Amino acid sequence: MAEHREETLFFQTLRRALGHPPNAARPAGDLFPAEPSAEERRLLARVSGRSEREREELVSRLAAAARPLHLEVQALDDLAAARDAVLRLVAEKSPEWGGEKQLVAWSHPLIESLGLAEPLARQGIPLHLTRPVDPALDAAAADEERRRQRSRIAASFIGITAADFCLAETATVVLRNRPGEPRSVALLPSIHVALVPRSRILADMKELFALLRWEERFRTEGLSNYLSFISGPSKTADIEATMVHGAHGPREMVVFLVPG
Amino acid sequence: MDTVTLFVPCLMDAFRPEAAEAVVAVFKRLGFAVHCPAEQTCCGQPAFNAGYRNEARTAARRFLRLFGDAEAICCPSGSCVAMVRHHVPALFDGEPDWRALALRTAARTFEFTEYLVDVLGRDDLGASFPGRVTYHDSCHLLRGLGVREQPRRLLRRVRGLELVEMKNPDCCCGFGGAFSVKYPDISTALVADKVEWIRESGAEAVVGADLGCLLHIEGALRRKGLGVRALHIAQVLAGGR
Amino acid sequence: MSAIRTDRYVEEARRGIADPVLRRALAGLQERFGRGTAEAYRRLPEGPGLRQTAHAIREKAIAHLDILLERLARRIRENGGEVFFAATAEEAVAHCAGIARRLGVKIAVKGKSMVTEEIGLNAALAAHGVEVVETDLGEYIVQLAGETPSHIIAPAIHKTRNEIADLFAQHLGIPRTTDPPRLTHAARRALREKFLAADMGISGVNLACAETGHISTVSNEGNIRMATTLARVHVAFMGMERIVARLDEYEIILRLLCRGASVQDIGTYVSFIGGPRRPGESDGPEEFHLVVVDNGRSRMLADPRFREMLCCIRCAACLNVCPVYGRIGGHAYGFAYSGPVGAVVTPLLTGIRRGRDLCLGETLCGACKDACSMDIDLPRMLLELRAILAEGDPGWGVEPSGGLERQVWKLWEGLVSRPALYERALQAGAVLQRLLPRTPAGWIRRLPPPFSGWTKSRDFPPVAAEPFRRRFAKRRKEADRG
Repeated sequence: MAEHREETLFFQTLRRALGHPPNAARPAGDLFPAEPSAEERRLLARVSGRSEREREELVSRLAAAARPLHLEVQALDDLAAARDAVLRLVAEKSPEWGGEKQLVAWSHPLIESLGLAEPLARQGIPLHLTRPVDPALDAAAADEERRRQRSRIAASFIGITAADFCLAETATVVLRNRPGEPRSVALLPSIHVALVPRSRILADMKELFALLRWEERFRTEGLSNYLSFISGPSKTADIEATMVHGAHGPREMVVFLVPG
Repeated sequence: MDTVTLFVPCLMDAFRPEAAEAVVAVFKRLGFAVHCPAEQTCCGQPAFNAGYRNEARTAARRFLRLFGDAEAICCPSGSCVAMVRHHVPALFDGEPDWRALALRTAARTFEFTEYLVDVLGRDDLGASFPGRVTYHDSCHLLRGLGVREQPRRLLRRVRGLELVEMKNPDCCCGFGGAFSVKYPDISTALVADKVEWIRESGAEAVVGADLGCLLHIEGALRRKGLGVRALHIAQVLAGGR
Repeated sequence: MSAIRTDRYVEEARRGIADPVLRRALAGLQERFGRGTAEAYRRLPEGPGLRQTAHAIREKAIAHLDILLERLARRIRENGGEVFFAATAEEAVAHCAGIARRLGVKIAVKGKSMVTEEIGLNAALAAHGVEVVETDLGEYIVQLAGETPSHIIAPAIHKTRNEIADLFAQHLGIPRTTDPPRLTHAARRALREKFLAADMGISGVNLACAETGHISTVSNEGNIRMATTLARVHVAFMGMERIVARLDEYEIILRLLCRGASVQDIGTYVSFIGGPRRPGESDGPEEFHLVVVDNGRSRMLADPRFREMLCCIRCAACLNVCPVYGRIGGHAYGFAYSGPVGAVVTPLLTGIRRGRDLCLGETLCGACKDACSMDIDLPRMLLELRAILAEGDPGWGVEPSGGLERQVWKLWEGLVSRPALYERALQAGAVLQRLLPRTPAGWIRRLPPPFSGWTKSRDFPPVAAEPFRRRFAKRRKEADRG
């Protein structure tokens, strides 16, 4: 039921404009089906039946789509190679806003399994892990914890996330929002590194939406309250149509494909 | 003998009768008998575009009465045919008998180049025309009727004619009927670019299939003192053997 | 409501035409995007016919708008967000100002949103002491210059790098540079401070999905992600029509949106937002508010002639092909929306009589219809608006046109109905034109008002001494005799 007078009037006007009785909410009919369509069944079958060779094709499509977007994609054989690739980035790049080299990463099993903490510690480079905010904290303490995390994220020149999915057709990394996996890690640092397990590469958004709508293990979490599609570094062409990377978000983005 | 009924655009009748005569000549060469109802005036498009639908309806009714019985109606103007095909039936949404007549008439009304190429299957009319020409796509012919290739095919088969494409041949020339008079600054800005593109193409003549655009373009060419001619495609296709 | 200056179309158009920098920028824009978009539609796996599919999806959504909006609102509320339905621009801005007051907001960062331009949000918040910072680079430039956007997607298309260099040197205190990467970086630095300091983030909504209860935003710069992530409260504004039922439908509309807007397969950042941050999350806004705006849309919805306009997703593809927009620029349209979409939507939102020149000042060339990502028949609606102007429409508060114009068309009606009279009028014209100044070839150099506009820049063709129908009839008679 409408909670406010404005809302009641709004819907009355709306229904009248549509030629329906102004006060009766209409049934949804088949607007929101409870079963996948034939097309969606086909998509689901395609995803679940995808062969190793077809997956490899997706990887090359991903790489091809990424190139014009200024998005670097590296296919790595194992986690050690991924760790080395991150360390190489750390060594080669310098912080955009000055200051010390610092990294921030989600507290995520895949990222933690890279074993970055130890080699970075040896170089004296801080690696911040973004832990969930403890629900037991009172409001003031929770706010303080959020502020602390945010300042660390803002101070880091590289942010590491682990993608839920990756869409080959458009070179898109898909992130769902969860405690301990703040979205600003993919936003405030100048370089965004996204780890993508190969099994999470899909062809396109159609496949993804079919999974999110109908596949039990993804459906429960759904889109989460903040689903991000990220296809390359931030960019703008607002000054005389000249393309510049690094408008507000990361100016560089790297995808590391890892086994699993 | 095959017969075609000629629907002459009012602008052509008044301002470029020789183009209509060229249409007749083309059909004669193809062995057609040409009918041309003497009472015809206008299909109603100017009033319709200005929003005066009652007045447009009066003209459209006359048009339908005069042409309703014809077997094949040919008109050397994309915008007049778009009017007959799309807008006249819609004008009679509330009058089923007139609407039915409008739809029947619409189904038998063809633009000149479309009629030659798509209906008659002819593209070589044995014409010759020495010189380099460029073709201007008129908006209603191109986007209203989807005719892009037919006039070009016809032109390519003309002896001695070299067809060159100008930049943006499908960009509006800025005529727009009453628009050209009511909003002269905008209309002028459009035709100035068109004229520039024509000049750049190096063509000696610009050819089109809608007289409104052609008179507009020619008016600008003449004011600029450029020696490029503006010709209706029929005038080219009627060019001597 | 933001200021309405649709009655200045003619003079503003003249000003745009006279601006060579603007003309060059617009030509470049149309060159890049106009043809590119058409090509992008052709390359779709489903073919360009996907536009028709999208149109059907949008029409279905509009026909079930009440159901979809109820579902969206219910979902967002279940997720801890707030939804407010605003009948007017005033209600919408007052609601947002109320939130700002309650939370003591000092700085609001804003992502590009056409509906907030429409309702005049910035001025209203400024009046409440809130500093509103536009964060899309183009909008930021335009805001620093004290101007309004002139293109839906490329708001600062009318500014040169030299002007931007001056603006930035003056406002950001940087050494003057005309280098786009350096200018962009200066704005990046200045705006990063604003993002980190802001209490409120404001965004528009590109498209909502009713089934899942999410709004979505699309940007290349990442400014909308910043604005919707870092501030304590996020307020999103959406025109009430910006919704589809399901994700599979959403996917089709999104692909066309990105192609129509900027010839991209997908925008760099597409975000789905379903509510505020959840317990345990360390970022994201504490409060999420969605403001759904009617502000005249329900009138379009109720009129079958204009309901189709609600299918529009403001991708701006029509601007990138419109020959008139390409010459006069966006400011001439006198309101938030420019180009063909503005020519239809602005009169409907702000007054048809007042926006008369927007309805009449187009050539009906049809390029917009072919470019429209949602396959909307804009020329048809321009013709409907013209009919309303001529014949009047009490529902839209428009009186029939009177005076000279009506008499001219009555006279025309009389002439085309009487062929003999019509022919005599042509004869009279052929005689009278001799009184006018003419070129050696007989073309008319100067026409009297109200036709004088033509001959300002073009010669006018002379009426033939003998029109075709008379020639034809004469020849027929000769043939019959001979």
